[in-house]
Amino acid sequence: MKRAMLLIALFCAAALAGHVFVLNAVPRIIMNKAMTKMQARGVPVHGFALSARTTQETQTVVRPSPDLAYSICLYDLKDGGPLTIYAAPYDGYASVSFFDARTNNFASVRVGEGDEAAGAKLTLHREAQDMMESPGRQIISPGRKGIILIRRLAPTQAEYDKVVEISKNDRCEPAKY
Amino acid sequence: MKRLTLYTLTTVAGFVLGGALALQMSGLIGQRSALVFADVNVDGWVSDWSISSASADGYTRARVARHGLLALSKTEAVYFTRKTDNNGETLRETCDYALTGGAQDALWWSITLYDAQSRLPANSDKALSIDATQIGRNDSWSAVISKTRPDVGPWISSRAAGTFDLTLRLYRPDADIIDNPNAALNAPKLSKLKCEGEL
Repeated sequence: MKRAMLLIALFCAAALAGHVFVLNAVPRIIMNKAMTKMQARGVPVHGFALSARTTQETQTVVRPSPDLAYSICLYDLKDGGPLTIYAAPYDGYASVSFFDARTNNFASVRVGEGDEAAGAKLTLHREAQDMMESPGRQIISPGRKGIILIRRLAPTQAEYDKVVEISKNDRCEPAKY
Repeated sequence: MKRLTLYTLTTVAGFVLGGALALQMSGLIGQRSALVFADVNVDGWVSDWSISSASADGYTRARVARHGLLALSKTEAVYFTRKTDNNGETLRETCDYALTGGAQDALWWSITLYDAQSRLPANSDKALSIDATQIGRNDSWSAVISKTRPDVGPWISSRAAGTFDLTLRLYRPDADIIDNPNAALNAPKLSKLKCEGEL
């Protein structure tokens, strides 16, 4: 009887542990897989790469919008240093969004509005870093790794071609100060 | 030794079962669609308001990672999906549909067709979506969803889509849509025109 109770308790505790473990692991695994796939397709760590115009053949993530042009920068703040990010101005909808390794969209900045009218100048830090010297808007990453995504509205080939030129001015690099 | 084996097997069985249950409750295995978890439903267009929120629970986080990775938080964009027409019937490529709607309170909007694997359908028709730049600021508009291009008007191709769904994106939505989507969203209507084999 005592042993049966012990086995039931052990089973329940293990089930709870398995449940929590899977819930925490799934987003990280899927995000990590997506980042690995992106890297294999030429997206650099600390540098923006403009994805090919979205079609059924070029899609790398589920439910991409064929009307948007995506510039992607993978980041890894393992050395602790901040990153300087610049999204060049665009005549149309544009935004910079930040996703951590658990898929959280922890920051979004609208390009072309207010302080970002001439492009978005941002600095990405790890938590608890000194941000006094950093230029532009300050953003704190909740984790070491993640994805920075610039979305620009480009429903036609002509608009996508414009993004190709504009995106050459985007920057995602270790801060130089 | 026998006792140790029994304890080990019990632990492994519990861990596996708990993990499988987590996947099932997140809609990642089994027959549960991600749409089952939606907490907003406006005339058949459903959405999960906790998408990409830091406060999202583990189930939502796992589900979004699988079905909507890199989705924006709702102050920047909201996403509505529908899998059925106005009569509640599953959308499929063997039928033609009329999609009608009006102006949306957002900077930009689009409607895109995805297959059952949440991917763009494998066709080269260059008609994967319609969007605000194509429709303009018209108070009313209509589009056709079909396997072949209609004679006139905006078109979304369903060729090679099998059973499919539609995603309505609203970028920089008006605050009213976030606060009270049922009252503020101008939900497009979707009616079946005809199916293959029907006269």
